[in-house]
Amino acid sequence: MKKTKGSEDLIQLVNVSKKFANGHVALNNVSLNIENGEFVFLVGTSGAGKSTIIKLLMKELELDSGKLIIGEKDITKLKRGQIPNLRRSMGVVFQDFRLLQDKTVYENVAFAMEVVEAAPKDIRRQVPMVLGMVGLSKKSKQYPHQLSGGEQQRVSIARAMVNGPSILIADEPTGNLDPEMSVEIMKLFNEINQRGTTILMATHDLHIVDKMKKRVVEINDGNIIRDERRGGYFSENQNR
Amino acid sequence: MKIRTAKFFVQEGFGSLRKNKTMSAASISSVIAALLVIAIFFIIVMNVDYAASKLESQIEMKVYLHDNLSEAIVSSMSKEIKTISGVKEVQFIPKAQALKDLNSQWGENSYLLEGLEGENPLPDSFKVTLTDPSKANSVALAISSISNIERVVYGKEELEKLLKATYILRISSLAIITILVFISVFIISNTIKLTVYARRKEINIMKYVGATDWFVRGPFIVEGMLLGLLGSFITSLAVGVGYYYSSNAIKNQMIGLLSVTLMPFGDVMSSLVLLLTTVGLMIGIIGSFLSVRKFIKV
Repeated sequence: MKKTKGSEDLIQLVNVSKKFANGHVALNNVSLNIENGEFVFLVGTSGAGKSTIIKLLMKELELDSGKLIIGEKDITKLKRGQIPNLRRSMGVVFQDFRLLQDKTVYENVAFAMEVVEAAPKDIRRQVPMVLGMVGLSKKSKQYPHQLSGGEQQRVSIARAMVNGPSILIADEPTGNLDPEMSVEIMKLFNEINQRGTTILMATHDLHIVDKMKKRVVEINDGNIIRDERRGGYFSENQNR
Repeated sequence: MKIRTAKFFVQEGFGSLRKNKTMSAASISSVIAALLVIAIFFIIVMNVDYAASKLESQIEMKVYLHDNLSEAIVSSMSKEIKTISGVKEVQFIPKAQALKDLNSQWGENSYLLEGLEGENPLPDSFKVTLTDPSKANSVALAISSISNIERVVYGKEELEKLLKATYILRISSLAIITILVFISVFIISNTIKLTVYARRKEINIMKYVGATDWFVRGPFIVEGMLLGLLGSFITSLAVGVGYYYSSNAIKNQMIGLLSVTLMPFGDVMSSLVLLLTTVGLMIGIIGSFLSVRKFIKV
């Protein structure tokens, strides 16, 4: 994992637009810079364009116009064969955890390394390490259905982190968790961020956003309508 | 490709075959059904070819002579015919012998020939066998130019019909086999689509953490190859046993008047097994390739 190097842009969206086949404009000329080591919340109503930004970063979707730069690389016109390499530099966490039910905690995490053809010796070293980091060393032989929702989300975070990505992307990571578990998970994200990983998190969870006091980018109808250094879920001058 | 990766593919491929026993069995059965039809057509083509070439090599020419030639002339004519290139053997058949042959050929109806002994209307003839049936034409021409020859007769039209029929059979079998290969690819790809669908979550995760398309495809291709190979193995076995017994039965019973014999077991099976294995493998690989295509686009 990389150390924070001050104010260096890690992710740049330059005048990005994306329109879907049904005519819905998901992003309308959006520009956004995220520095290395930042923790950014993406907020806004459903369908505002949060997921579209994440999907563009993952190269799951192609943008219509504009430019997308990650690190020093322009990924706007990345060839299909190069997408795996891009994704190896990112970790993703989903609302529904997406764990494999017939694999143990250990196997679920190791799977992410196996499929990128990591050496077995690296797998044996790396997996216990990240499981320790998320506090699940003792549950490595259990199956997902034996775990609580919070624990399952920890496994998925461990899986996202095991290949040492420089960016961790989370799409509603606390959406399926109760408030206590959400707080625990956010502590973990904060810890990961402290160690230098840039975090981009789309969320609807106003409590955690208000509590964390991180950068907040609000999107509405495909436009960025607010970008605050240490913001809350709602803007200051909005009626609550 | 790393050995570790290959091992992973094989393990996963075998694993999913075992896990989806019913579906795998169903798709192997469908593959067997298609391969069986392919095998049957192949065997028919091979046997018709075999019979045709046998018939071709048996083709003989009848050379009818003028009446009342001296023995010396006949023997010099025989020698002359023998020197023609493409001629294998020349046998003189005197008119009395010809009538006798006809008698035995007609069997029960031979009473119709009674009374012909006195004034035998059949001519003396040579029976000429050829080394190569395709030379029949030139041989016939050369023989006709010899003096004292009434007529040269050979199954010219029959020979051409036979060649044409085997050609048509070959082309239509090829067409049917091609169609069946496509159907088999479709069947296999549908089965694998089910395994792919069952593992779409896994594929999704693989893609998100940065697995390459080839890495995702690998296990399914192994699975497809196994389905195809198992299908072709079972089909080969079944066809082999069936062919062995039926060719024996035909040999022992001498069905009909024609002395039909099937092509020797070993000759048929060696090329059939090769064909079925190749086709089986091919449809397995192509089928799995097609079925992963949709799910790999994440």
